[in-house]
Amino acid sequence: MKRFSLKYTLLTYRLDQLWFPLAFWAFFVILTLLLSNEEQDFNIARAYIGVAVPLIGGIMAAYAILDDPAIELRFATPIRAAQILFERTILIFIIQTVSALAFIVFALLIGVDFAPLGNALNLHLAWIVPTITMIALGIFGAILGAQTMIGSFLVGLVWIIEVIIRDGMAVNNWKYAYIFMGILTPEHPDLVSNQIALFAASATFLFFTWLLLHRQERYI
Amino acid sequence: MIQITNLTKTYGAGNKTVHALNGVDLQINSGMFGLLGPNGAGKTTFMRILAGIVNPSGGSIRVDGHDLTTEAGKHAVKSMLGYLPQELGMYTELSAEQFVDYMAILKGLDDSKKRNKRVSEVLEMVGLREVANRKIKGFSGGMKRRVGIAQALVNDPKILIVDEPTAGLDPEERIRFRNLLVNLAADRVVLLSTHIVEDIGQTCRDLAVLAKGRILFRGSPTDMLKATEGHVWSLTMSGLEKPNHDLTVVSMLHLAEGTQYRLVGASAEGYSSAQLTQPGLEDAYVWLMKQSQEEVMLS
Repeated sequence: MKRFSLKYTLLTYRLDQLWFPLAFWAFFVILTLLLSNEEQDFNIARAYIGVAVPLIGGIMAAYAILDDPAIELRFATPIRAAQILFERTILIFIIQTVSALAFIVFALLIGVDFAPLGNALNLHLAWIVPTITMIALGIFGAILGAQTMIGSFLVGLVWIIEVIIRDGMAVNNWKYAYIFMGILTPEHPDLVSNQIALFAASATFLFFTWLLLHRQERYI
Repeated sequence: MIQITNLTKTYGAGNKTVHALNGVDLQINSGMFGLLGPNGAGKTTFMRILAGIVNPSGGSIRVDGHDLTTEAGKHAVKSMLGYLPQELGMYTELSAEQFVDYMAILKGLDDSKKRNKRVSEVLEMVGLREVANRKIKGFSGGMKRRVGIAQALVNDPKILIVDEPTAGLDPEERIRFRNLLVNLAADRVVLLSTHIVEDIGQTCRDLAVLAKGRILFRGSPTDMLKATEGHVWSLTMSGLEKPNHDLTVVSMLHLAEGTQYRLVGASAEGYSSAQLTQPGLEDAYVWLMKQSQEEVMLS
């Protein structure tokens, strides 16, 4: 039994969660067009795909499961915790992917050169890794605290700390927790280790979220 | 069908521990079963445990042979369950038909032809066929409840759990809803939780009264009435004086000769004009609550 419907997953998705990323996307497009020069365009493009997209993804993820008006009815159906988690996070990841890819296409069309970020794989890992990390963090925080606000607060806190002290994050053992290394210091020698560590951290967050989701009484 | 032994549920820890359920033993068979109790008695916790949403702190629950304290058991029970929660949240941007269809998919009805047929059937059953394509956000409270019962029935559940289903409904809607539940109970277990005594009296032959997490009574409405015989009086008093002597006023009516009181208590010895009266289910409920409060005070 599949117990899944893409049609209804989309129909029950809150529209404000589409306006939110769309508004950011439009803002960065307008900003790029207004401040049009080669260096600025690259900085705006990488700030959007590697810093803003993960933040938006993390905040949206905090609301993904708990902000469901029919959560009690859903919990009373025989769908597995893993399916709830997957259904809700994958949609947010897809929205962020579409946003990032659309912006990359737009940036390429106006002549932005992403070469400083490395090859195509490095370019995409530079936004995929922080986006997955922030989504995992957001959803984990919300489920751990049984409140959407806790998840979005945690995402905001980590995001602002890492952006402010980004130079300090690139050294010592902090470098493994530096979410924006791929986009802000792509030449870092430990970039691969950093990305593996962040993937592992994301998997851990998602695993504990899955475990916590079995305790449905915390969320109704 | 449902066997519950020494069921406990506690929230919090240390000084802040709340015993929502305290050693509940029940056996529930096919038909309509009523769970009656005041607000805060533990009814919703009990219903949520039976729906597999809340984990018990102790005791055992077996539903149709499945152990509800295990993940596998919960999954099996949820597959045969219809649940209408007290606070019914829905996707109000969907139409009634879409909502019930979505819930049917979540419950595992994959075959679209069979599912569409079943969705139409249950919407017909609850009298919403004509408005099936209207968005739920435009529905009245009663219509939303009916959508709720339609989604609960869509998988043809062996067990139907309805928590305070008539709260907020007008008298006509309540009667309609009660009749619908009685019809459904012909071939399944229907668990009706409510604090409205009349709803139980009109529908259930088997009931339990829950207060402060404990079962105070288990039996039929007739048994409950028998247990109250000799404890209900009618008394008419003139002037401003009101009955006392540990008697609870169940109802009062202003008449030309004074105020007529319906009283429940251990004894009306202080009032020579008090006349013993046949108890109703509401009197029986008040008597049970009164006894339980006295027990608490003595202990």
